[in-house]
Amino acid sequence: MDLYFINRPNLDRLAMSLAKTYRVYVPVKSGEERFYKKMGEEGLEGAVLGEIRAVEPLKSFYFPARSKVAGYFSEKNSDRTERPIAIIGAKACDLASFKVMDYVYSQEPFKDPFYVSRREEGLIISSDCTTHGQTCFCLAIGIMPYPTDNFDINISEIESGYVAEAGSNKGEKIIREYFKLFQSAAPYSEKRESNRRQLKDRLSRHVEKSNIPPSDAVQGLFRKKFESKLWEETAKTCVECGACNFICPACHCFVLKDQNGEEGFERLRQWDSCLLMSFARVAGGANPRKLLAQRLRNRFDKKFNFFPDNIARFGCTGCGRCVEACPGKIDIREVLSKLALE
Amino acid sequence: MIDNPYLPVKTEVIDIIDESPTIKTFCLRPERPMGFKAGQFIEMTVPGVGEAPFTPSSSPYEKSRLEVTIMKAGRITGMIHGLKKGDAVGLRGPFGNEYPLSEFEGKDVLLVGGGVGLAPLRALFLALAHDIDRYKSVLFCCGSRTPSDIIYKDCMLDKWQCLDKKKIKFRITVDRKDDSWKGNVGLVTTTLDKLDLDLKNSVAIVCGPPIMMKFATFKLMDVGYRQDQVYLSMEKNMSCGMGKCGHCRLGNFYACKDGPVFRYDRISHIHEIWD
Repeated sequence: MDLYFINRPNLDRLAMSLAKTYRVYVPVKSGEERFYKKMGEEGLEGAVLGEIRAVEPLKSFYFPARSKVAGYFSEKNSDRTERPIAIIGAKACDLASFKVMDYVYSQEPFKDPFYVSRREEGLIISSDCTTHGQTCFCLAIGIMPYPTDNFDINISEIESGYVAEAGSNKGEKIIREYFKLFQSAAPYSEKRESNRRQLKDRLSRHVEKSNIPPSDAVQGLFRKKFESKLWEETAKTCVECGACNFICPACHCFVLKDQNGEEGFERLRQWDSCLLMSFARVAGGANPRKLLAQRLRNRFDKKFNFFPDNIARFGCTGCGRCVEACPGKIDIREVLSKLALE
Repeated sequence: MIDNPYLPVKTEVIDIIDESPTIKTFCLRPERPMGFKAGQFIEMTVPGVGEAPFTPSSSPYEKSRLEVTIMKAGRITGMIHGLKKGDAVGLRGPFGNEYPLSEFEGKDVLLVGGGVGLAPLRALFLALAHDIDRYKSVLFCCGSRTPSDIIYKDCMLDKWQCLDKKKIKFRITVDRKDDSWKGNVGLVTTTLDKLDLDLKNSVAIVCGPPIMMKFATFKLMDVGYRQDQVYLSMEKNMSCGMGKCGHCRLGNFYACKDGPVFRYDRISHIHEIWD
């Protein structure tokens, strides 16, 4: 793939041009963390395109926390058409979650029209991580701290600008359309590689401290530990808040809620949590996962057993958000490391 | 834009049959025909309240209407029991897989059902009876708690009995009898003793409450069926019906997408399948 260089003022111009077609979201800093914000007149001023992932998972844009999916038995149906979304500054761990989300929401025979149209119409300009967080462990999951696929354009911060790489036809088309904003990347491409190598080395040393078993051993270890005391012990501090599910870029479960709305009956789709007691319960009260330990184990079962069998990937991207979000201090890295202990 | 799979089809309740003190059958006519195959399920919407999964109990050969047999068990089913003729509900589907009828051809087909679990088996039975020449025989074993809990009474105890007496037989039992009952007494597993079937050339299809499914399946293993001859209709919390919402996961399958009909050998390794 060809590489180009774009300086910061030109990237700003590109972002402002894209804002005519797209609703553009960029990560901005608040305290120590990054949050997505809709870009306005200020352009990329204040946008943090390096560092690490934002607090919100990328799924929020393609599979919103709560949205109307149907209005029924009524003639009135105001389906607002919104401009598509462009994300600038998405990170590799979030892009990896598309492997899970696409499998769930774009698979035949029932494609989810809302997800599919947001994916098809949307634009992703991702960026390399320039550092790692305390809870980051993507490398242990086999994911690099820089995007390798699932982006339209990726940018890697170098000195006064960025090395840009197209990752899709849509991305190439944009680079061609705004070609005058780009320069040759020749002086910078070697620098991109050495930056990536250095970050990978640093992150690798950080991740080693967690003693996570090799990724090709995780599923087998999980299966062996299915009946282990590990789940009861881990569940001791779980308060069933569901924060780990909601903050996870790869957790895709939802519940449908019907209501009588202003324009007739409405069906809403809302994120759900498999840690909640009612998750698997059926009418009449039978519940295959009555115990919290069973539900906690189920979360790991889905991520480290179900998804490897179904899509040959983990349902975890090593983003570490759940470690930060858990009020019970349950650390997914610690649980994974305990799988290997006897 | 792709069709919206969350959108229910408006459907009229055209008749309601009281089956037992807690079970009713609802005859439904969707605005546009909704064909299904025996074993598949639909999601039925109570407008503005929510939806729940049911397996149609009517013949899959009837195209313009379908029937669902529903036990009052929770919030949605309670509201459904309050419906009247002419009321509007919604339907989505059909979802999931069907009973693999071609694999049953030329065989002794054993149906084992309990309580409201007879619903899918009724649709299956009607499909089998429609093409009875293709099958060696059909034996329908059915258990209910008491005589008043027997559903599809006019079919079970009367109409179906005269269909093809050589090829179609019934074993009907109740857990507890009353003064009116002259038939068998005992759990449905007792009907699986002394089966006069060619077990090597037979298939068994089981549907009912989890505890009944568990013991009926174990009994089938005891009397000589292999795991790959037994088909189970798994009841899980099928909510979206499309393998997306995550609620009905069963090991590395979704009951709504990979099931609800599972051959026993394909799921027997999964923990908690009977819970």
